[in-house]
Order: sequence, then structure tokens, then C-alpha cells
Amino acid sequence: MIIDAHMHVDDIPALGWKMGADLVVERLDEAGIDRGVVMTIVDAPEVNPNALELVAEALAAYPDRLDAFARIHPWYGDEAVALLERAFELGFKGLKLHPVSSIAHPAGEDTLRLIRIAAAHTAPTLFHCGDEPMTTPLAVAPAAEAVPEATIILGHMGGYFHVDEAIEVAERVPNLVLETSAMPYPQKIAEAVERLGAERVIYASDGPVCSPRIEVEKVRVAGLDAEAERLVLGENAQRILEAVT
Amino acid sequence: MDDAGIERAVVCPMKPRRYELGPANQHVSNEVRAHADRLVGFGRVDPNLGGDAVREAERVLDVLGLGGLFLHPWEETFRINAPFVDAVVEVARERAAPVIVAAGYPWLSEGLQIGDLARRFPEVRFVATNGGQINISGLGQTDVELAVDANPNLVLQTAGVYREDFLENVVGRFGADRLLFSSGFPYFDPRLEIRRAQWFHVSDEAKAAVLGGNAAALLGLGG
Repeated sequence: MIIDAHMHVDDIPALGWKMGADLVVERLDEAGIDRGVVMTIVDAPEVNPNALELVAEALAAYPDRLDAFARIHPWYGDEAVALLERAFELGFKGLKLHPVSSIAHPAGEDTLRLIRIAAAHTAPTLFHCGDEPMTTPLAVAPAAEAVPEATIILGHMGGYFHVDEAIEVAERVPNLVLETSAMPYPQKIAEAVERLGAERVIYASDGPVCSPRIEVEKVRVAGLDAEAERLVLGENAQRILEAVT
Repeated sequence: MDDAGIERAVVCPMKPRRYELGPANQHVSNEVRAHADRLVGFGRVDPNLGGDAVREAERVLDVLGLGGLFLHPWEETFRINAPFVDAVVEVARERAAPVIVAAGYPWLSEGLQIGDLARRFPEVRFVATNGGQINISGLGQTDVELAVDANPNLVLQTAGVYREDFLENVVGRFGADRLLFSSGFPYFDPRLEIRRAQWFHVSDEAKAAVLGGNAAALLGLGG
């Protein structure tokens, strides 16, 4: 069982980006991946008030292949809360936040409110975690510490220059999970497994525009033992997704 | 190289511990001569050093027999389009030698900054590492595309690039001759990096160009 824990469906004419569910499944098939977790690139209610519906349509088209996280903009207060609750009613399995595009700090109260709601559903919050301000491991860690019952996933596990920092921060904040998408160093996956345990590292691609096939290959090049590779490529994500209520 | 099935490679000096680039360039020259069937060397110079940098660039190309210049604005700390960089690029221009730029480093070697240098030297062939940008949100990609569009003498390398569709768009918009496979070893793993050029969704002809044909032409290796 391979699960890709971070993929996108969206349609953004201003950027010329169109990532349909068909392309997602095509890339899953190309890489031999069983299921993918899809989310939009932009948030609800702004800049796309129909973001949840767009993802729900993808789920309906491929119920055996796709799960979903909801991108919600933390600035929108009660409206954001209502959207997140609605997402869980629609069968979404988590919350996705991208602080550098939303300009909402991970440890801000608006953000923590959404994380707490996700945690009440035993659902994870996936943060974009790269090299930009408000997304680095040290920026996200206080959110994980403020809501210790939440599972906080560091998407991209620190990007290009904050990978060592992501591993260090995860060593002292136990509810952080590292997610491998697009981070370009295979050996850092092996190091994270060694230092954190294989249960705290999950495979993802950030596809379909990042290549799931290459991203799976990256985990294989890391040279994990068979049990750790099974956990990273799918069993950890399966455990997280199945716990959601 | 053997693990990844790579036949030939361009090698450049790492940052020497004592910051003396001359011995490092000499070392690369020695290694390249010992493995001439597999390696092509580029010499590294620090434009901050002014006349000394110009003299080292001349030594690299005229005495050591290396194939081009390598500039690393992040590790040497200079802005790639700063006026004082021109003196070393002029050495490359006079000898029709290509210049590799360690690209994508914030404030120092961003896509438009490299484009600005390429505009000043239209006869010099510039190669930007890391797809010209290092950002896992893709925030620098549009600026790089603008630089590539405006400067026919600028090509990009594939190592570590975020988003396969960025590489596909470079081929689709600007042509397969604007992209070179690179592994970025030892920072990146050649066994993974070669997959970016083998598995991205372009024609077989384009892949062949990116994997080797373009580099062979750039380096004068005869195909």
C-alpha cells in the first residue's frame, strides 16, 4: 500500500495551472501508488469560495483512489471554522495551511483555532514547511506545542535549507511528523527515520506537478529497511487517515 | 556517475576550506587530465578579488586547460550582476568560454539577476544551476522564465528543481536546448537526479538533448 499524502487539484487560470483529478490519478498509476490525498492550491473562502466543492468533486470521481485535506484561510474567523466543519462533513481527512501565501502565522490564534478543530476530529494539519518566512520548522513548531493533541505534518520537511532544522525540531516536539515531498535529499529521509523513528516520516509528492514517480524513487534511493519503507510509503499515512472522525 | 549510468560530467571545485581557489582549480585540472575520457573541468573564481580574480580566470582557461568558469555568489558572497563581476566574465567572453552560475540563492543569484548579467554579455553562454531558482513554493519560477525568455544565451540545469512541470514548460516554451541535465553532486544524489531528465513528460528527442546533447554542444565534445 502506497499513499501519497500531499497532492493538488485546482484550476487557476491566472497562473495557467490546471490540475484535474484525472491527471492526479494518471500520475498515481504511473508511479504504482494506491491512493492520494488531494487539496487545492488556494484557500477557501478566498481566493476560491468554491475550493471545497472543487475537491469534493474529485473525491466523488475517484472514491477508491483519493482522500482530501481542506485549505482554509485562517483570517476568516467564524466563516473559516464553519468551512472546516463542513469539510469534515464532506469526508475530508485533514487541514492544509500555507502560511507564506495566506500571511497567517502558524502560531497565530486564528490558525491555532483551526488546528484545534482538526484535532477534535483526530485529523492532522499539514503545513507547507519550506524556506520562506512563517513556514520554517521553527515557525511551525510553536503551533504543534500549543496544540499537543494535534498531529502536525511538516510538508516538504523544511524545503531546501531547513531540513536539518526540521529533524532537530521534530526531535523535541513529539507531535510533529515529517513529510518528504519535493525535498531533494534522499539521505535526509534515512536520517529522519534513524533519528525520529519510521513512524514519524511519511511519503508525499506534491504532485501531480511534482512527479510522484520520482518522489517514490527518492524514498527507495534512501535505502530504508523493508519495514521502515512500508511505514513511510503508506502505512503511516493510512494510520493517520483512518483515525479521522 | 557509474551508479547512475552517467558517461561524462563537468566538475568544479568545492569551496576550499582555506578559501584559496587557485590550488582548488589546480586540483580539478589534475583530476580532469587523469580522467579525460569522463570529466570536463570548470575553474572557480571569486570576483571580489578584482585583478587577482581576472588573473586566475585567465590561468584557468589559458594554462590549466579548463572548459569554463564557475561562479558561486552565495559561497563567495557577491551579487552576480554587480558591476565588478564583469571583469571576470569578460575573460570568458574573450575566449568564448561558458560560465556556470550557482543560481537561485536569495539576494545574490536570483533569476532576474542572472538575466541582467546575461543581458550585458549576449555573446557569453551562461548556465544557471538549480533551474535558476531554489524555492519549494515555486515562487521564483516566473522570474526565471522571464530571464530565459529575454536572454537566448541563458540555459538552466535540472538538479534539485521543484516541480517537474517547470522543466516541461522550459522545454515547451523555450526549446529543449535551454535545459541541461545536472546532478548537483555531492549536494544531490545522481541516482535520483537523472530521473528528472529521464522521466519528465517530453519527447524522446528532447530528453536526449537535455541528458547529453546540449551539454556536448556547449562543451564542444562533438555529440
